Amino acid sequence: MGPRADSPASPVLEAAVLASGETSAEAAALASADPSAGAAAAEGTAPEAAAAEGTRPGPAAASAGRWAEARRDVVRGLKTGLATFWQLARFMVPAYFLALVLERVGAIEALAGAASPVMSLLGLPGEAALPLVIGYILNIYAAVGAMQALSLSASQVTVLAIAILIGHNLLVEGAVLQRAGSNGFAFGVLRAVAGLAAAALANLLMGAF
Amino acid sequence: MGDLLREFLSGSVDLLLTVFVIVVPIMVVLELFEGTRPYRRAVRWFSRLVGRWLGLREEAAAPTLVGFLFGLAYAGGVIVRDTERHDLGRRQVFLMSVFLSMVHAIFEDSLIFIALGASIFWIVVYRTLFAALVTLTLGAVATALVRRHRERAPISPRSGRRRGER
Repeated sequence: MGPRADSPASPVLEAAVLASGETSAEAAALASADPSAGAAAAEGTAPEAAAAEGTRPGPAAASAGRWAEARRDVVRGLKTGLATFWQLARFMVPAYFLALVLERVGAIEALAGAASPVMSLLGLPGEAALPLVIGYILNIYAAVGAMQALSLSASQVTVLAIAILIGHNLLVEGAVLQRAGSNGFAFGVLRAVAGLAAAALANLLMGAF
Repeated sequence: MGDLLREFLSGSVDLLLTVFVIVVPIMVVLELFEGTRPYRRAVRWFSRLVGRWLGLREEAAAPTLVGFLFGLAYAGGVIVRDTERHDLGRRQVFLMSVFLSMVHAIFEDSLIFIALGASIFWIVVYRTLFAALVTLTLGAVATALVRRHRERAPISPRSGRRRGER
């Protein structure tokens, strides 16, 4: 499913679905709907059941079970954290390099000139259009890499982040929305426009307060 | 060329270190928090909230929450499954898609920008509120369009109802 690391795996997913009134069998079925998640779900649920049994015998066993659980959580957190980090590295570094080269060649300057009327509505310099466009086509990791090549203030980073977080990875996520029964293209347009509008509004509000 | 490479290397190391120092510890903390009682309570609270404010049925709140927390790739599958299982209807799918297309994978996506120094309030709270507002607006527009469409639809000779009417 795309280049994204949507892998903060399924025990959590299961907890979320459980809490919203589904049975665990359904949650497992749900997790296995995504083939990459299925294995993780199986791996996650078995030790959890063991831990639940471990709490019964007595307080000593209970605390031992809790420690084992905590250790497992830490390991899982490190795994998802490192997986995310790997995804970041994979996209950010090449995008950062591309942005630096484009800057040397003078391509960013040309783009900045064309984009500055729109970008000034967001309180951003024209060259901030590069991470935005890279984000639309690729993903937020690549956009972050391109942002690194620019020098932006903290509030400019926030405004640009809003636009990118609402509209990004439009091709891959558009395909996902299409599969879920919506018009992927229309949603891409919606997200790009809504992202710019949200960023412009945030820029205005930040200036006002 | 040499100073391009030097800038690239030091900038990359900078970027990766910042992200590493922030993303990995927070992922561990989140993992510890998940499954605890306060976490379950928060999850239930959120489903009720989206149900009440976005006009989503209870069965639609579950896929919305999954997408909000874990991303569209997960939510896509869950939406398809629950649409069939609970007969959610096009309106519910539309509302979910609008909201989730703008806010999803709330921890993972936001964290990266928080690592870069973006404000949590603006990229999480403000963005979620903005997405909710857009969802409500487009939901109202869709309702109005559907109503107009139905009023214009011809009355079926067989049932005596307009097409599209239940």
